[in-house]
Amino acid sequence: MSDTTPRSRTILVVGGGIAGVTAAVEAAEAGHDVVLVEKTATLGGRVAQMNRYFPKLCHPTCGLEINYQRIKKSKRISLFTLSSVATIKGGPGAYTVTVKTQPRHVKPNCTACGDCATAAETEVANPFNYGMDKVKAAYLPHTMAFPMRYVVDPIVAGTAEGEKIKAACKVGAIDLDEAESSFEIEVGAIVWATGWRPYPADRLTAYRWAEMPDVITNVEMERLASVDGPTKGRIVRPSDGAEPKRVALIQCAGSRDLNHLAYCSRICCLASMKHAAYVREQYKDATVDVYYIDIRAHDKLESFVQRLKRDPQVRFVKSKPARIEPGPDGNPMVCGENTLTREVYAEPYDLVVLATGMQPSLAEDDRPAIAADFDDYGFVFPEGESIGAGVSTGALDVSMSVQSATAAALKAIRVVSAG
Amino acid sequence: MNAMSPTPSKKYDLDFARWVYDNVDGGDRMALCMQCGTCSGSCPIGTQMDHGPRKLFMMIRAGMKEAVLTSNTIWNCVSCYNCVVRCPRQVPVTYILHDLATVAVREGYAQATESDNARFGKAFWWSAAKYGRTDERLVTAKYYFSFGFGEGYKKGMANLPIALGMIKTKRMHLGMPHKCKNTGELSKLLKKAAEMEAKKHG
Repeated sequence: MSDTTPRSRTILVVGGGIAGVTAAVEAAEAGHDVVLVEKTATLGGRVAQMNRYFPKLCHPTCGLEINYQRIKKSKRISLFTLSSVATIKGGPGAYTVTVKTQPRHVKPNCTACGDCATAAETEVANPFNYGMDKVKAAYLPHTMAFPMRYVVDPIVAGTAEGEKIKAACKVGAIDLDEAESSFEIEVGAIVWATGWRPYPADRLTAYRWAEMPDVITNVEMERLASVDGPTKGRIVRPSDGAEPKRVALIQCAGSRDLNHLAYCSRICCLASMKHAAYVREQYKDATVDVYYIDIRAHDKLESFVQRLKRDPQVRFVKSKPARIEPGPDGNPMVCGENTLTREVYAEPYDLVVLATGMQPSLAEDDRPAIAADFDDYGFVFPEGESIGAGVSTGALDVSMSVQSATAAALKAIRVVSAG
Repeated sequence: MNAMSPTPSKKYDLDFARWVYDNVDGGDRMALCMQCGTCSGSCPIGTQMDHGPRKLFMMIRAGMKEAVLTSNTIWNCVSCYNCVVRCPRQVPVTYILHDLATVAVREGYAQATESDNARFGKAFWWSAAKYGRTDERLVTAKYYFSFGFGEGYKKGMANLPIALGMIKTKRMHLGMPHKCKNTGELSKLLKKAAEMEAKKHG
């Protein structure tokens, strides 16, 4: 008996970070139609929020630029931003997917001139900088946004300010009446490239991230060090804007901890080495203390650690700090036991960076019931029709995410080509 | 290589770690310890411990039975549970330390039976087992006089002002010790428990 179900050869990629973009371009360049769905207003994901990559300390902009060029050149990729998967029906080779799109309030004829932002007065928290600063209610998500198109926050829709913003646009691209919409697509395979989010630091109560402004997370450190970040690339204390002289980097903040993330997030050790390098590049007299259980620099990345170890102003302390307390002058004081000397310490710092780990983006209630399997931690378990790319499948660095995404594209091609 | 180890006289019991994993309360979780130092760093009296829990666990693994069971770490734990709450491997540090203290007493280590905390523990248990309640006066008296009559009298007199203050503010009562309703049933219960424990460790 032959299978008469109509099959689709289109591949749906969910998530437009480095893994999703890679899976999409690889599948498209191999001759398949791809639908790329991204939840936020732009592609780039977490990679766009990084200052630089380890170990070469190059900027992520160039890798993104190359991939954006590949998307532009490809006629096979349909991109939907501000969109997410609502429901899935069917099975491998013939899925019917409902995609929901949130209003951007800006039409494709936007020239990214910025007149709307000039006209806007209301400010909203800037998710690109993890809420460390604010942006106008009409904003470009970031300098490497793709599509290069502004977004108007729904907060100004229906207000006098909204009308003022609309009037400021010379090409008439503002549409304040745009509403949430949805559409259905038929696809043959689904690649989950839903990525990660930083583990919520407020849950690490002993480290007082929520109470102490000079205790920040590693992703916030990336934004502080970035030229398009809240401080234009100067690493300063969030409390008073002063240059830090003593910086502590705390590894495994939430990772390898059965009370938080049971697994090793793999990238944090190297990311912290990078942060030590950022601080030492900016401040000749600054000292950096790295608190670690063990440094996990896999493969060739060991040499990056060795480079930092040669710096006499970077000290490695084998200890998982027990807590951070406010010191007499209000500065964070890191307390714990040095496990090599058995010395119980309480060291004051100007700035403390928590190396928080990676948590899969899909919360329990957002997980699709079909077309994906999940492991105990919420990562995509890749087997059969469940295809994952990048950090949706486990903690990976950028280069490993790209490899994983290429593999995912191949798996998806096999599914749509079967039968 | 024919150099001597740093302390050749040290006794090592290579089966000790396995024995602790299997027999000590919480020992099975101790096998998961990754030596991060959170426990010793969280300890409010960590500076008053000779080794601290993390190092003690490493010593157990190294088979340093005698050094472990004569350590003050197992006696100085105040059961605040900071380490238990923060331990990334969910090792019940407090249980392990308390159970190791019991082992040290059972195996007759002088440091264990003569330590302040062991004396106090004994006095506390004497009152709890006899009356089903702890009586402040009897527990402290029993504890003080465990050091001998002269020492006990000295300690008692030194703390007399505190005791008088407590009586004045009605924090300590005069008269017969408080008792639970049926001390006979309690002693039967404890006898049975002791039998069961003896069987387990027999």
